[in-house]
Amino acid sequence: MTKHKLLSLGHGLFLGFIALIIIFPFYWMIASSLKTENQIFQLPPVWLFKPHFASYAAAIVNDNILRALLNSLIVTVGAVALGIAVGAPAAYGLARYTFRGSSQIQFWYVTNWMLIPVVVLIPFYLLAANLRMIDNPIVLILIYQTFVVPVVVWLLVDQFRAVPIALEEAALLDGMSKFGIFLRITLPLTVPGITVAAILAGIFAWNDLLYAFILTPGTDARTAPTVMMSYLGGYIIPWGRVMASAVMITGPVVVGGIAINKYIARGLTLGAVK
Amino acid sequence: MKPSVKSLLLGSACAAAVLGLAPNAHAWSLQQAAAPYKGETVTVVGLDRPSYKAAQKLTPEFEKETGIHVKWVTYPYENSLKAETLNFVSHSGQFDAILSDVVWPVDFTKANWVVPIKDFMANKDLADPNIDVKDFFPVWRHAFTIKGQLVGLPFDSYAGLLYYNKKILKEHGFSGPPKTWNELLTDYAPKLYDPAKNLYPYALQSARGETQTADSFTRFLWPWGGRYFDAATKKITLDSPEAIAGETFRQKLIKFGPKGIIADDHSQVVQLMGQGQLAMVTEWSAFYTTLTSSKAGPDIAVTTEPAGPKGQYSAFGGFAYMVSAQVPKKTQDATWLFIQWLTSKSMAKPLLENGAVVARASADTDPALQAKYPYLAPMVKTWEHGSVPDWRPQIACYPYFSELVSQYGSNIETGQYTVPVGLKKLSAKLQHYMNSTGCWNSINVPKH
Amino acid sequence: MTEPTLHEVKVPRIRQWEPWFFVGPSLLLLLAVGLYPTVFVAYFSFHNWTMGMGPPVFNGFDNYIETLTSSDFISSILRTFLFLIVTLPIELCLGLSIALALDQTRNAWLRRLVQILLVVPIATTPSVVGMLVQLMFNTQLGVVNYGLHVLGIAPIDWLGNAHAALGMVMMTQIWEWTPFVALVLSASLATVPQDIEEAITLETESFWARFRYIKLPFLRPGLVASIVFQTIFTIKTFDMIYSVEKGGPGDATQMIALHIERIAFRGFDVGLASAESVLTLIVTIVLAQTVVSFLYKDEV
Repeated sequence: MTKHKLLSLGHGLFLGFIALIIIFPFYWMIASSLKTENQIFQLPPVWLFKPHFASYAAAIVNDNILRALLNSLIVTVGAVALGIAVGAPAAYGLARYTFRGSSQIQFWYVTNWMLIPVVVLIPFYLLAANLRMIDNPIVLILIYQTFVVPVVVWLLVDQFRAVPIALEEAALLDGMSKFGIFLRITLPLTVPGITVAAILAGIFAWNDLLYAFILTPGTDARTAPTVMMSYLGGYIIPWGRVMASAVMITGPVVVGGIAINKYIARGLTLGAVK
Repeated sequence: MKPSVKSLLLGSACAAAVLGLAPNAHAWSLQQAAAPYKGETVTVVGLDRPSYKAAQKLTPEFEKETGIHVKWVTYPYENSLKAETLNFVSHSGQFDAILSDVVWPVDFTKANWVVPIKDFMANKDLADPNIDVKDFFPVWRHAFTIKGQLVGLPFDSYAGLLYYNKKILKEHGFSGPPKTWNELLTDYAPKLYDPAKNLYPYALQSARGETQTADSFTRFLWPWGGRYFDAATKKITLDSPEAIAGETFRQKLIKFGPKGIIADDHSQVVQLMGQGQLAMVTEWSAFYTTLTSSKAGPDIAVTTEPAGPKGQYSAFGGFAYMVSAQVPKKTQDATWLFIQWLTSKSMAKPLLENGAVVARASADTDPALQAKYPYLAPMVKTWEHGSVPDWRPQIACYPYFSELVSQYGSNIETGQYTVPVGLKKLSAKLQHYMNSTGCWNSINVPKH
Repeated sequence: MTEPTLHEVKVPRIRQWEPWFFVGPSLLLLLAVGLYPTVFVAYFSFHNWTMGMGPPVFNGFDNYIETLTSSDFISSILRTFLFLIVTLPIELCLGLSIALALDQTRNAWLRRLVQILLVVPIATTPSVVGMLVQLMFNTQLGVVNYGLHVLGIAPIDWLGNAHAALGMVMMTQIWEWTPFVALVLSASLATVPQDIEEAITLETESFWARFRYIKLPFLRPGLVASIVFQTIFTIKTFDMIYSVEKGGPGDATQMIALHIERIAFRGFDVGLASAESVLTLIVTIVLAQTVVSFLYKDEV
């Protein structure tokens, strides 16, 4: 029994250490956003201080961060909705049918994800510019499909496979169409998996810097990570403001991630279900 | 110096334009000139720097007087070129007033992306008879004169200056700042180096990117007699003994700087200076307000950059506004009216008072302003005697050229290569790049 | 129509268009969005085209020759591999340890907390991570060097020293992506049937035996997925490194994506950037497919 206790103490210490490593930079970001410029660089660090919200006010007023957050939200929701709308049926098709080329197609989805964004940017920019669509969120929603669809397909194929085929057969006997079965029987059973796929794809879309930077550079169209980058070009890096923006940018995604946390174990099986 | 035929022609063309318009001078007014363009919107590229903040603050005056709307789009420096080039290549017409760094005009004009200034100057309805182009310092006019044509109106113009902390220098027995780089290294640096007390004599901002090329590498090239290339023989000359001497000096100097300085950009150096941890720093004139309003601000004074063994060649940088050739004629005219107004003699003083730096001699040499802004006198002195317009090469392929310089310059600074080896590698790389792109044919040789 | 049988659902002979009904829309969308740029890039990789320097001119394999003889391309690729080879095993080992510890621990509260926290690094915007790294690793004023100082270790010039800078971005990459591996492997471990695990626990006390024969087969798909994902993420890494110090000092942290970005958006050399992109894409695909086939080989 002592061996067990020792082991479980070891697990506890290890996990506690991991938790600390994960949380510290995040804590540092929040703390810095609430410190004055002088306190940020004070060493030894100021652990106790009166929270100072001026950085948030400045980020909101000077950097129009709220507008950027709204733009990010529009683009993210649009990209994920489109990706799920086309990706979920595709995953279902790959899960339920074995046909000529199906495994190649499955791999091809992932190939799209391997495209280095820089590469895709020039042709996409020129095309968007010709169509007068620079600064239009639709451009981002479309280009984000190069990674949203692969994420959705990869994650959902497994989820659909896990749904017992007997359920579908019963519905087929009742005269339901194949698409009806997909929509009304299988889809509702995979909501947790779809949520995970949506949040994960949403995180990637929300966090994208490079595409957004080139395709929607305008002051009114730029997304939140672009604001981050704009601090690098100034003469002075206003660290308080940078960190306040950072908190506002990462806040929604982190909260979203934590919200679906309990589904993640079920959603990220990635081929473990046979 | 012998004036070239081209510049004589240009000079007389300008003079003729001014003289020709003189009788009508009283008749021209911005309000009248702008009347046909009421309701137009002009999109202006700006940066997140003090001069643009000042300009944005004053822009409503222009809008009120003309009825032309001005929309500012702000980019980080490193991305403004990316945005503008893509805009031109794709003909997307996003920007009307184009911001050009002193190293980009060859690029922008070669492809006919911008309208030559003379097109507007020749138009009596558009050209302000008081524009007085000659009032821009010669070095600035020359920097933006490509093939004999003025292509932009200077705005946000910098000279490299030496900022020093009077109090720290005095405490260590120095009555004033060093006059030469050698003095700085041999006399000042050892006495001011006290890492235990967080005191360093000098810090050199060297972050990879344009900061490494302009603020760090080139700063130690010209004063030792080094040059980037020989235009006549189309040879890169960065492995010359002079260039090696200059960059070797830089290596000796950075030993006295704080650790980590190789990665630091303007912001970190200015921060250290502002906190009183540095005795000296070489920075752009545009930083005057930021530095003097810092914690150590009251002790900070400013003078010209030290001279090298081959004379004084201070850092030279800044911008000009140009008119995009890819937008409708009417928008171009409205854009011209805006940039003409922004860079005009009468706007120089209000801009200056709002924190901008301008290249207008009438304002910069104004005794009252000089008394109020101590950076003006050394800045004027630098532009008149210690600057060259092609301090960084004026070539069409400058951006990538500079990338290579910054990569190898930074590698030399970290000690990955010794100075001669690194410069040899860099020269070979640049030589190959210039040969393979045919960029040699684009060199602009401005008047000095 | 006869009533469908189980056989028909699995291998429909008559209605061959059926799977395409499901797969089709996404294929069309990806062809429209992903294929156009790929074809464009492939096409211009055979052209000499620098934006603003005249129209594209066909130049055969010149760009490929230039790329393969350029020390910058080769060193960026090798550096990216080094980055991958160092970070991936650490991420896998650490991620697996976390997943196993989560599986074993009896402290439900701690398990819950760590599970929640694992999402944080994944969700944190990489450009924010980059800025945060700049702040925390600052040589003079950063909290990391302060921590080392408290432990009696001399300050490290994280941003100015080539080796330290590479180490720093590696650590950051590991911080960002280990939790992803841990979550995936946790999910895989959750698929191990309870009854089998209980049965084997009665059979043997050996942790290793239980791991090797019971858990590993269930972990395999998660491991494959982690390796493929991490390979893709690592080769694509741009935002974080760019916002730390743009690939510097020197070229110490210049990965392939940063190198291509420089050629494309500083040099505007579309031809050269395209050739480098094509080569990189080929390398990535070959790598990912090798991983997949190698790891699935002995399973069937």
